[in-house]
Amino acid sequence: MSRKMLIDGEGNQTTEEQSHYDFDLFVIGAGSGGVRAARFSASYGAKVGICELPFHPISSEVIGGVGGTCVIRGCVPKKILVYGATFGGDLEDARNFGWDLNEKIEFNWKKLVHKKTEEISRLNGIYKRMLANAGVKLFEGEGKIVGSNHIEVTQLDGTKLSYSAKHILIATGSRAQRPPIPGQELGITSDEALSLEEFPKRAIVLGAGYIAVEFASIWRGMGATVDLFFRKELPLRGFDDEMRNVVARNLEARGINLHPKTNFSKLIKTDDGIKFITEHGEEFVADVVLFATGRAPNSKRLNLSAVGVETDEIGAIRVDEYSRTSVPSIWAIGDVTNRINLTPVALMEGTCFAKTVFGGQPSKPDYSHVPCAVFSIPPLSVVGLSEEHAIEQVNGELLIFTSTFNPMKNTISG
Amino acid sequence: MATSISFTTPKLTSSFSSSPILLQTLLFSRKLSASSLHFPASSPQTLGSGTHSLGRLRGLRCFTVRAESENGVEPYAPRHYDFDLFTIGAGSGGVRASRFAANFGATVAVCELPFSTISSDSSGGVGGTCVLRGCVPKKLLVYSSKYSHDFEESMGFGWKYDSEPKHDWSTLIANKNAELHRLTGIYKNILKNSGVTLLEGRGKIIDPHTVDVDGKRYSAKHILISVGGRPFIPEIPGREYAIDSDAALDLPSKPEKIAIIGGGYIALEFAGIFNGLKSEVHVFIRQKKVLRGFDEEVRDFVAEQMSLGGIEFHTEESPQAIHKLPDGLLSLRTTKGTVDGFSHVMFATGRQPNTKNLGLDSVGVKMSKNGAIEVDEFSQTSVPSIWAVGDVTDRVNLTPVALMEGGALAKTLFLNEPTKPDYGAIPSAVFSQPPIGQVGLTEEQAIQQYSDVDIFTANFRPLKATLSGLPDRIFMKLIVCAKTNKVLGLHMCGEDSPEIMQGFAVAIKAGLTKADFDSTVGIHPTAAEELVTMRTPTRKIRNGSSPEVCWESRAPSKSVS
Repeated sequence: MSRKMLIDGEGNQTTEEQSHYDFDLFVIGAGSGGVRAARFSASYGAKVGICELPFHPISSEVIGGVGGTCVIRGCVPKKILVYGATFGGDLEDARNFGWDLNEKIEFNWKKLVHKKTEEISRLNGIYKRMLANAGVKLFEGEGKIVGSNHIEVTQLDGTKLSYSAKHILIATGSRAQRPPIPGQELGITSDEALSLEEFPKRAIVLGAGYIAVEFASIWRGMGATVDLFFRKELPLRGFDDEMRNVVARNLEARGINLHPKTNFSKLIKTDDGIKFITEHGEEFVADVVLFATGRAPNSKRLNLSAVGVETDEIGAIRVDEYSRTSVPSIWAIGDVTNRINLTPVALMEGTCFAKTVFGGQPSKPDYSHVPCAVFSIPPLSVVGLSEEHAIEQVNGELLIFTSTFNPMKNTISG
Repeated sequence: MATSISFTTPKLTSSFSSSPILLQTLLFSRKLSASSLHFPASSPQTLGSGTHSLGRLRGLRCFTVRAESENGVEPYAPRHYDFDLFTIGAGSGGVRASRFAANFGATVAVCELPFSTISSDSSGGVGGTCVLRGCVPKKLLVYSSKYSHDFEESMGFGWKYDSEPKHDWSTLIANKNAELHRLTGIYKNILKNSGVTLLEGRGKIIDPHTVDVDGKRYSAKHILISVGGRPFIPEIPGREYAIDSDAALDLPSKPEKIAIIGGGYIALEFAGIFNGLKSEVHVFIRQKKVLRGFDEEVRDFVAEQMSLGGIEFHTEESPQAIHKLPDGLLSLRTTKGTVDGFSHVMFATGRQPNTKNLGLDSVGVKMSKNGAIEVDEFSQTSVPSIWAVGDVTDRVNLTPVALMEGGALAKTLFLNEPTKPDYGAIPSAVFSQPPIGQVGLTEEQAIQQYSDVDIFTANFRPLKATLSGLPDRIFMKLIVCAKTNKVLGLHMCGEDSPEIMQGFAVAIKAGLTKADFDSTVGIHPTAAEELVTMRTPTRKIRNGSSPEVCWESRAPSKSVS
């Protein structure tokens, strides 16, 4: 059954009506960006194939799952845990509103993790159905690029499938990294953190980004002792400095121990738990040590250099404004391109890709004024320039309006 | 009527301006006259010029000069008033107008009844309804009652309670009242810090420039009436057994079983409050649906969610009499029968402007049938020197609107910038459980006014509910003008609706289009991002007639993109 061949959105390419391809589009990676691009391209009439690694909450080079990081080990499970943790603080406030609660309210981590896993499995199923409903063919296995119009999928039983595609889209996302310190195998990343068997009564979190801050808030809200270590003066580098300070003070107010300007030296296993030693020789012991020190693009096993797709020094795939790589028939979107690593941005990039390549409307994603949130407890949300960036970029006077107040709910509950 | 009053040389002490005992007669003194202060008759006086110097003179009584022939006074005789502005009623509108006027250089006095949690002809309190008997205590009670839902929700997230949490009503009310006292004190400070003279007592208008406060008279160039409104209970047998919202916010004990009469926001909010605190709640409404005037789909959605929460609605059923039974409980006779066993019957059937006994009839201030003061676009009444803002004018009875009206009036009178309040795209919320947030037109209004509209809706289970197992859902609706793509209205019912709607109200006020919404990247994962990702219209209405139904754009659950 042959599908209509679609003409590229770009006018300067000659239509290759003579060549036959198995697919108009083959997508490697069925996460936020990949699924969006696949569905929308199919809705424009393209014949689309997509491959994805087998599902499991903990990712690896050969394990992933339809839905991707966001659905399986990112945004969604994170938010579920944040909800769970937020109740902790709320229950305290309830007393001042007249509620009589037991002194100690129990929290069952295992139950929450179990329900979380149920939900992400349900969503994984929904994403598979969405692809099927859009007429996209899904392959389970590891995808690899073997030519500018050829991909190879290694299935679970080892057999390889080869396909030709007019366009190839790389949407393989990124993965959490462990810092190369001695004992790093004793630590965990966010993948494991979302699926821990036992609740960490003492947790050490290393890192200053949103993932570190969110997990610190999560475990603290559930009653753990939490120590957060980071290299700079304040967490959340890149955000507005005043806001970074507010977040840091809020974390402290909730009982998280902050250790700024600390570099990490090593981890050692002890009978009492994992010992974490700082650069200055201070020692801390915890049940869990979480590395939240960064994520790296998943581009190593794609065979990119052989095909001529350029990457940068951290492995992010270089793309132009239309998400096209250095090879005209190969494109890339989402975290693997390391532009703005947010699901709605990957969705935007996927939509624009589909419009450009199959919808006849060349569309560049618009990166201005992208709002985002950090789900610390309490959360932070931003859109537009930080004060520092505004001062840098704006010619002329700036007016800064701030407001700091005790919200009504806290006036009665203290 | 202008009386001649003598005036002693003012001293520049702060006690001077705050002393209420300034009933001295003013003599026209040439030294302090206003030779430099001749203003033309027609425009509202401004003291804006040289406000800096006037600011320093705040402790000093300022003269204003008027050449008015209105009440028979000689046109060119300069007139002296105790105050540039005298405000009756220190609620949201009154305080705003007064302190802004003072900041613009006017001398201002405001009178207010003594504080009480229950309003009456002789009690009120600085801060007004909003702070003392409305918005603020209501919200505190909503917060308190919401916890029972949160406890249940938290169980789906791993929290476990040995025994069911119990609520103590008196702790809540005591803490609520402590907060009210704190706030009324803050409002008094706000007035004091602005240099406004605060008088405690009942104000009554004697003539277009004179106000009597408990026997003492003050003259003012302008008088502002901002006395607000009060709950209204209709005359039915057994009315004395019924309570209103004032009393409901200060009950000695929690109702066991309560009948709430009314279908407006106050009725629904209290229904949610008492239901959350585990009372048995019955709501009786005259109409078929609650919240007349709201978008139809929202009316249906909120009633359903509230029913699922345990509230029983009795529609098209009106009260006829209340009887007290031997056991002390109340029996409610309605148009459909009798329902027994209520510990309380609460009327939330409307509020009326507080315009009785203000002297309005004799001074000639026109009022509408329900007692609301009639004003023009600048909030001026039928008497040129008398103005009115807030609930007493029964325009849009919301605190932020009273603030807007008060602020506009201060500008008009004392900054020489005639300013009309803008009533377009005013957002509002109902703090029912779940709450509602809305801005702009309802679907019905949009169809009437624009004829060709596209309707986008979303009705989904939020992420929290997929884990808690509770029947909570969220409903959202975007109403778009098909011709211009402008978003005409936005409606949401579900958790956090009021907070979310505030941000989007800016977009509606700015006249943004659906394309602007669509080009805004979402924040993930949130409920709010649904509002910028509604791709397919649910229905299209053309020529104001029956909708062409598109397939429902609806995500099975929140997390799917």
